[in-house]
Amino acid sequence: MAVDSSLAEMHWKHDILGSIEVGIVVLDKAFNVQMWNQFMENHSNIVPRMIQNKNLFEFFPEIDKEWFTRKAAPAFSLKSPVFIIWEQRPYLFHFDCSRPITSQAHHMYQNITIFPLASLTGQVEQVCLVIYDVTDEALSRLGMQSLNRQLEKISQVDGLTELYNRRFWEEQFDMEFKRNKRSESPSALIMLDIDHFKKVNDTYGHPSGDEVIKALAGIIKKATRETDIAGRYGGEEFAIMLPDTPVASVEFVAERIRRLVEKCTVVYNKIPISFTISIGIAGFKHTYKDSTQWLDTADKALYKAKNMGRNQVALIE
Amino acid sequence: MTTPVLICDDSSFARKQMQRAIPDAWDVDISFAKHGKQALEMIRAGKADVMFLDLNMPVLDGYQTMQVIKDEDLPTLVVVVSGDVQPEARARMLALGAIEFIRKPVDNAKLVSVLAKFGLYLGESSANKRAEEVKPTTKNSYIEKLDAYREMANVAMGQAGESLAQLLGEFIDLPIPNVNLITNTELHMAIADIQRNESVSAVSQGFISAGINGEALVIFNDSNFSNMVKLLKYSGNENSGSLELEALMDVSNILIGACLRALSEQLHLVFSHNHPIILGRHCDLDDILKTTTQRKEDMLAVEIAYSIKSQNINFDLLLLFPNESIDLVFDKLITPHF
Repeated sequence: MAVDSSLAEMHWKHDILGSIEVGIVVLDKAFNVQMWNQFMENHSNIVPRMIQNKNLFEFFPEIDKEWFTRKAAPAFSLKSPVFIIWEQRPYLFHFDCSRPITSQAHHMYQNITIFPLASLTGQVEQVCLVIYDVTDEALSRLGMQSLNRQLEKISQVDGLTELYNRRFWEEQFDMEFKRNKRSESPSALIMLDIDHFKKVNDTYGHPSGDEVIKALAGIIKKATRETDIAGRYGGEEFAIMLPDTPVASVEFVAERIRRLVEKCTVVYNKIPISFTISIGIAGFKHTYKDSTQWLDTADKALYKAKNMGRNQVALIE
Repeated sequence: MTTPVLICDDSSFARKQMQRAIPDAWDVDISFAKHGKQALEMIRAGKADVMFLDLNMPVLDGYQTMQVIKDEDLPTLVVVVSGDVQPEARARMLALGAIEFIRKPVDNAKLVSVLAKFGLYLGESSANKRAEEVKPTTKNSYIEKLDAYREMANVAMGQAGESLAQLLGEFIDLPIPNVNLITNTELHMAIADIQRNESVSAVSQGFISAGINGEALVIFNDSNFSNMVKLLKYSGNENSGSLELEALMDVSNILIGACLRALSEQLHLVFSHNHPIILGRHCDLDDILKTTTQRKEDMLAVEIAYSIKSQNINFDLLLLFPNESIDLVFDKLITPHF
């Protein structure tokens, strides 16, 4: 009777190891496999008797031997459990993912635990590897990260021109203003706007107006440096912040943009459209109380350019 | 003949634990000191033929105290009783003239074998009577409670430090743990200034056993990573981002693993721990801690600010116990185990 019940117990314990949806592998110090449960057998297509007492690395060339030996070392030497997360390496064993059709993953993402097994000598002779399938968790985490990146981009960039939108541009401008307050290097601000834009819209229609705005944004991108901060400030109004740039150089940049626009022809529905812009420049002054004051000055310069007859660059120093 | 014995430890919990371990039949006159300066006065007053000396203490720590004893050739036999169990700590103290080094937590069996080894006491080992006599730490005293937690953290910190020292091959400087009862919204207060306004990365792992649960956090200052990666001597040509992640995981595995093992020993439990989670990488400390549930109850926060001075590396181990666990931990700590 006693033998029967212990035999029965052995059976159901064996069943547990077989049915449990995690991989269980026991390894000795030389990384020879001592135990290989059903999960491992099913996912690797290697039955226990094939791999029993064989070296793990021979069967799984995808495992970085040096790296894994290093990871497992504390379990042997310090009797410390080791946790490896999928962010470190997506998987230890290259298994297919559990839902081969509807899952977006090409492999199973795995979290791994390596823990020491007690032995009679007090030394750790064997460790147990537990392999968790965390594909769904990993995918949702990765999906969220890429979604966050997209959202961040959407919240910063103007859809039509792909320049910064007004809100984000103002944030950047405000930070730049504060930086200028602390530093000695000169910076300048450009405000520009399309001359008689309403006429373009009225004459050729709004889709043509959009094409004009896009063309102008393209010119601004081409004419500015990577460190310059360009944004769409209003409908046809743009703002460019140029850090560490003396006003003289800014005038040069502004003049270049003006000339490029003058020479540019936008063709929409086979109709060629020419347009011009007016540009105002304001250099940074330590007397500005806040960033708005600086912005107002650039705006005044823009009006000056308009009053001078448009298609001009005006400067307030 | 009565032997004057001095127990020098900043923790009242640790002093009592030491006192309870002393065999009933050893004829001793026990005095106490809270730090090295007090201890030196008492040695000079002839109250310490034998001294049990802690290492990490305010005012004058164990190393400094031992140095004075050596320099002035003071008449006392010093047995170090320390949470810091790194081989270098042991070697330094033995080199200064300590006769033996006992790992905390001290108990009757450990003590008796040391006393026997040096012929200080060879009689009956039982300490039951003394254990009963020593007033247990009272449950209602806030200060004594915190002291018990601090001592628990001290031992855990030492063992975690020892494992890490072994992994890195460097001496780890151990602080005095910072223990506070705080509310969840004040969690940021649990962390010392070193991590303020810095970009940090953090790992969290939960643990639970017998109704006691908690969370262990390892918080790294991002500017320390390159030095840490160097210490770990990674080979291969992976990019620095993935090496940083490896370093973060390797160090937190060792620290949290050893720390929980030490807690298990002291609380006589076996903790199960879940898989670690990256709380955040390259972000503001406040952002990491902001995402916690806004529970109003108190929690116990133990901050251990490890450093490796020679490499200019600092990192924090934070042990957090929610309200429901705090008293259970305390009960386990003061319940004697024979």
